[in-house]
Amino acid sequence: MSFASKMPSLRIDQSDLKCKNGCDYFGNPQWQGYCSKCHREQMMRQRRAEKASTNPSATLPKPEQKKPERGLKLSSHSSFSKFEEKRLRQSETLKKANLLKFSVFKKSSSDDHDHTPEKRPPEFKIPAMVFEGMKHDFRARFPALAPQVDRDARVFVHSFIMDVIKCANVMTVDELSERVQRQYQRFMKHMDTSPHFGNVDSDTKELLLDFVEKHAMTYLHELPSVVFSPSGTDDERLDRAMSERIQQLSWVGERHLECKLDRNSAACRQLLYKAISELLGMDSAMSPGGKLARVRRCCRHVLALCGAPASADDLLPALIFTVLKANPPRLVSNINFVTRFCNAQRLMTGEGGYYFTNLCCAVSFIENLTAESLNMDKKEFDCYMAMPASIGGSAWAAALSLCGCAREAEEQLAAAQALLREARDVQAQAQAVHDNAATFEEQIVKKVQDVLSKTPLEIKPRRELPQFGKFKSSAKPLIDLEPSVVPKETNPEPSDQALAQTGTSVQQPLIDYKDPPIDHKETEAEQPRIDSRVPIALPAPPLTTKDQKEQQILTVDTSSTEPEKLNILGFEVIDRPSPKSPQNLDQNWDLKQTSSLELLTPSLLGFTPFDSRSIDELMTPDEFVSDHLAPGLSNINYDIDLSDFSGDNSLAEDAPKAKDPFSPDGIKKFDPFAPQPSTFAETLEKFNEFSLVDAKTNRPYDPFEIVHRNTDPFSAGLAVTLPQQTTDPFSPQQKEGTSILDDNNSPTAACLLPSPLLPQSSGKPA
Amino acid sequence: MKVIEAKIVVLGSQGVGKTSLVVRYIGKMFSKHISPTIGASFFTCNISVEDSRVKLQVWDTAGQERFRSMAPMYYRNANAALLVFDISSAASFAAIKGWVKELQSNVPEPMVVSVVGNKCDLAECRAVPRAEAAQYAASIGAQYAETSALHDQGIDQVFLSTATSLLKMSTSNGAIRSYDSADGDSDRVPTGSPTEETATHTGKVELPAWSIDSVAHGELQKSMCC
Repeated sequence: MSFASKMPSLRIDQSDLKCKNGCDYFGNPQWQGYCSKCHREQMMRQRRAEKASTNPSATLPKPEQKKPERGLKLSSHSSFSKFEEKRLRQSETLKKANLLKFSVFKKSSSDDHDHTPEKRPPEFKIPAMVFEGMKHDFRARFPALAPQVDRDARVFVHSFIMDVIKCANVMTVDELSERVQRQYQRFMKHMDTSPHFGNVDSDTKELLLDFVEKHAMTYLHELPSVVFSPSGTDDERLDRAMSERIQQLSWVGERHLECKLDRNSAACRQLLYKAISELLGMDSAMSPGGKLARVRRCCRHVLALCGAPASADDLLPALIFTVLKANPPRLVSNINFVTRFCNAQRLMTGEGGYYFTNLCCAVSFIENLTAESLNMDKKEFDCYMAMPASIGGSAWAAALSLCGCAREAEEQLAAAQALLREARDVQAQAQAVHDNAATFEEQIVKKVQDVLSKTPLEIKPRRELPQFGKFKSSAKPLIDLEPSVVPKETNPEPSDQALAQTGTSVQQPLIDYKDPPIDHKETEAEQPRIDSRVPIALPAPPLTTKDQKEQQILTVDTSSTEPEKLNILGFEVIDRPSPKSPQNLDQNWDLKQTSSLELLTPSLLGFTPFDSRSIDELMTPDEFVSDHLAPGLSNINYDIDLSDFSGDNSLAEDAPKAKDPFSPDGIKKFDPFAPQPSTFAETLEKFNEFSLVDAKTNRPYDPFEIVHRNTDPFSAGLAVTLPQQTTDPFSPQQKEGTSILDDNNSPTAACLLPSPLLPQSSGKPA
Repeated sequence: MKVIEAKIVVLGSQGVGKTSLVVRYIGKMFSKHISPTIGASFFTCNISVEDSRVKLQVWDTAGQERFRSMAPMYYRNANAALLVFDISSAASFAAIKGWVKELQSNVPEPMVVSVVGNKCDLAECRAVPRAEAAQYAASIGAQYAETSALHDQGIDQVFLSTATSLLKMSTSNGAIRSYDSADGDSDRVPTGSPTEETATHTGKVELPAWSIDSVAHGELQKSMCC
């Protein structure tokens, strides 16, 4: 249906587009269907006719005249550029909208070019959009009401609109107005009597009435010349006259109206600006209620402008002044629209009604403004009225445009401040991130330090020394090694001294040491055969080595730090050689002796570097190889591991953890060890004890393995931290000397070798 | 509870203290937690009379002489009017008489009129004898009260008595909008507004066009026959 009715209306025949005069140019609905040339001619004729008629206030509406005249008005000069622009834009858009519909109606109405908008298709249909909007609005505003109420409201709006449109053709505006008022009352009565509205209180009923009015009138407002400046009235002409009148009165200032306005006060200007904005917005509001709301807001601004408590004596002049400065578009049409079609009950009472009445008063005052009403001389008044409209009121116009600029500036300022705030936030966040990073770094450092400090014990010295000695010794007759230890002790010292003397000689020892690792491997190869035996054999040498170390340390401490460094160097050397190619066993032996000595010393000396690297070393045996300092110790372990693996299993990776094999052995010997530490400590403190240790060499296995044992327990808890622990213990050792050694002994039970060994041991035992 | 809504307009010359009166009353309303709307020129207040409530909408008017011609817009559809004059100004009392005449001629509906002599604190320069004012008020069927906005005397009574009268009036003829009987509206709305005049005018135009003329023609022909 809608298609059938609409399609033809939208299709425009070629002939319809032609000028009505019949010239071959195209016409334009904006020019009443004339082409531009004919339209201008028509206009000239009309204007001449208008001038001829001496009575300009003739109430006969001239529909053909309306459009062009309004165009003229729009182009009229204005001193109030900003508001003028806004106003023009508003009326321009509205006009366009009206014209669009106008043309549609025209085409659809009939073939003859009758422009009376009353003629509309009988099968006129209200677009469903209206009711969709109503439904949404209803749900938003009256969520508590029953859907039946919503339906009633929609039905009413539909009948209301149809009724108005039907009546608009045959009724005058005032009849129509009355009819509309009757409709409102009908709806009120319906609400009072209908069971659907039984539980709706009177306030809500009024809101519902407003709601109905709003939607019905909003739609009707969009229809041209039905309810808003309807045909048959001279609303539009009055609009134009009013606009011109206001422009002519632009010179009227606050002093003429005796209202207390301070042009120099920014707050005052702001309020006036707001009031004017609201007043201008009245034209864009579609429903009477909306227009009333605008007026209400405007008047509240005006009241604020007057200062509190503002009385009617202040309000009315200020409002007049506001209207004069605003020159709202289509003012008369708007006022008439509200007067005619707003719910009379509300218009006559209530705040909105009061302010609207004031506005009407203001308009009426402006219309009838005379010299007396401004309390000024008639001549002066005439002079003012005679002067071009563009001259007057420049001060206030400037003030208001200033206000507009100030407002814009304020907005810009606010935006700038917002940006600044954002920038600050970003900066703060960046700073926070930065601080976070710093604290994180600190925390990491602290944690590392904590871990370092937490990890006590001097694992490495024990491991290295005993293991090394053990391995080397184990490589060949274990028993022989023990005796050899004695010579080692003697030999290594000189060698160390020699190293110390020649700092560069470090490399040489390295090379030498490289050889020994090879030996270790060989020994490892031998060890695997022995397997379980090896560990047993090993312990003996470690003891000896420890003794040696102790002796050396003592000597070192007493003598000087230099030898210690040398020893450290020696350790490094030892580390590197281990991975490298094997060499003669005999050389290894010699090297071992030196290495053992060195190992003892290094533990004391190179603590700090040792620690850091030791951690890495712990990770993998390979690293040990690469490392410079720690390697000596690690190498020892490593070598052992390899030997074990080669002997026990073909497992390549596990091999490094050859310590594991030790650990099992250690476990067996563990028990004895635990008691030993105390004895060890005692012995360590005293050099003589070394001899005792030697005497214990029979037990040496135990201490050695005990160390491993220690590693095992560590493995459970300290696996990661072990390296650090090992390093830490060393540092104290260096400082304290013999006492350190004692510490080493005590910690050995817990912390010593384990770090590297732990994981391995744990893995293998499991 | 019966609730009636009434519009009360405050009229009077400039400087008689209309606004002061209203402001003084509003101030009290504030303290009594009766909510006035914004501004002193318009406010609503509820006054309880007996077991009913009167919702008063007070419209202040601009007293300046140059806005005198606008007054009808304000008092249109008003249910009550406060005619305020200054007891120290005979001119203001004379203006009251003018207002009364205007109201009587322009407002067809019954209206509660109260004559208020303000500034009774200025008794020493009284220009309008109390008896004269009271007598005049009685002659037009209005109440008379003397108040002092400055000293806040008698203002309550003015509004209260007005409310009471409105309540009485609403029960007698229902011209005032009441929540219980909405019928009053339909009676009141069309009256007094320009719409009525134009409606009758157009009606006259249409009727002869459709019926009367044709009927007349018929009669004429008959008469011709006779």
